[in-house]
Amino acid sequence: MLNQLFQPAHGTALAGYILGAIVFSLIVFAALMAVPPRFRRNIILMATFVGGLFYALEFFWPVHAMPTPEDPTRVGNFLSPYVVPFGDITTVIFAWTVGLGVINLCQVHGKRVIKGASGAFNSMAFFLSMIVMLVVYILQQAHPNAINKNMKVLLFDGGLQSLDATMFSIIAFYIVSAAYRAFRVRSVEATLLLCTAVIVMLGQIAIGQMLTQRIPADPHNFVHNFRIEIIRDWIMTKANAPATRAVAFGLGIGGLAVALRIWLGLERGSYFESQG
Amino acid sequence: MKILRVLQEVDRRYLYAALLLAVMLPFLMDVKIPVPISAQTNKMYTAIEELPPNSFVLFGVDWSAGTRGENGAQTEVLMRHLMRHKVRFALLAFDPQSKELCQRIAQRLQTEYGYKEGVNWVNWGYRVSSNLEMYLKALAQDIPTAVGTDIHEVPVRTLPVMAGIQSAKDIALILDVTPSSTFQAYIQFVAQPYKIPMGIAPTAVMAPEAFTYLDSGQIVGMLAGLQGAIEYEQKLGVVGKATRASVSLSFAHLLIIGFIVLGNLAMLLERRQKSRLHEGDAQ
Repeated sequence: MLNQLFQPAHGTALAGYILGAIVFSLIVFAALMAVPPRFRRNIILMATFVGGLFYALEFFWPVHAMPTPEDPTRVGNFLSPYVVPFGDITTVIFAWTVGLGVINLCQVHGKRVIKGASGAFNSMAFFLSMIVMLVVYILQQAHPNAINKNMKVLLFDGGLQSLDATMFSIIAFYIVSAAYRAFRVRSVEATLLLCTAVIVMLGQIAIGQMLTQRIPADPHNFVHNFRIEIIRDWIMTKANAPATRAVAFGLGIGGLAVALRIWLGLERGSYFESQG
Repeated sequence: MKILRVLQEVDRRYLYAALLLAVMLPFLMDVKIPVPISAQTNKMYTAIEELPPNSFVLFGVDWSAGTRGENGAQTEVLMRHLMRHKVRFALLAFDPQSKELCQRIAQRLQTEYGYKEGVNWVNWGYRVSSNLEMYLKALAQDIPTAVGTDIHEVPVRTLPVMAGIQSAKDIALILDVTPSSTFQAYIQFVAQPYKIPMGIAPTAVMAPEAFTYLDSGQIVGMLAGLQGAIEYEQKLGVVGKATRASVSLSFAHLLIIGFIVLGNLAMLLERRQKSRLHEGDAQ
């Protein structure tokens, strides 16, 4: 039944769904805000616990054959049919968080524009770009004529993409400047880091690999180990990978602990505690 | 003494100008430098070569214009191989820009290899990245329902390219071209639970983190940054974006190494001169 709720809709039905979703969400938000903070915290806690419990149970519960007309070999448990609707529900919730972010941005930049504070010009640029991009995208979806399509191409290719690429490219210039100033052989550790960095960089580029191309490429020949790309691979797989794995294990265990604390409502500072 | 100080404190504007030239000039030259193919690139090539014809590949594309230099070239060369090998593929983006950027790459290449959108490949479009794990879990279980429609709003269930594709077990290979750690979610929620081989193409800066997954066998191959794409183009025998950028990449790296060596040499020489002066004063 839940799957039926998330079927693609078009035209008037789509507009009806969007309107219905907005009205329903506003009612839920209003009801949530009307509840005293203490109970509100409990409601959020319960929703978080149920969400976490669903995925945990679905993962650990034993599976059995659950054939469907489309997929006769399907296996799962009694919760498996709800994984797709739950995925859709979380997508909708995350879409709302985007809306929350937009409201927050509008509040911050709106105040700055109204007060005429420093940076008000940048805030106006934010409003202008957001509104223009939004209008053009909606127009292009609703009426895909040549003007709307070209407007979208102009903004997307000419504006957003170029700005994004430029912003990222600028980093290269800072890296050159920072590497030149920071990589100095002031201690044994710094020297080791510098030598490793130079070997990996040389091993990563065609001209660097040319330096040792006269060394035999036959892996059975011992001298082969002195090719720059072989030394680079040794550094990456024998020195870097174990260290990365150790960090990943630590992060994983830490993440599990934090997830458990959030799931069980033990994490301090969350769930409207400041309002309670 | 003064020159040694100057060499240690070169004005950053000269560094910027030097980098600009180092990156730009090679594009005016027609130089191709052969490179040895790394083990991880070879493994990626073999993984695609071993796919049965008409099998289905889930092609994750999670990059934006910011990393197009690396990820664009990686996407293009991997897509070429998939098309050359005559396998079906579906693009799935967790970045709003890559949905369109990769659509264009596929549209450009499809005429070259006789591919047709909807028949041989499909673009499932963009999904919110903050919901990545939950979405992939749902996708693995029921692909047509979780995806819904492609980027042209056509229900994927009705597309010929999706024939026989119901859940993750129908996927023969997963690829993910990414500048972030999205590939980890693919490993956790799709590749490992359903025992699907997976290859990744991260940016060079992300590659060190990914080597550990290669070592453990959780990924079958990797194109490490632009260099990985250069190696792959060479393996396929094509001259694409990566090969054309190869000399630029080399020059930029050499410039950085050159300046680092220069700064350090000047510092060491200055130290030596100072210690000699101190010794002279002491005597």
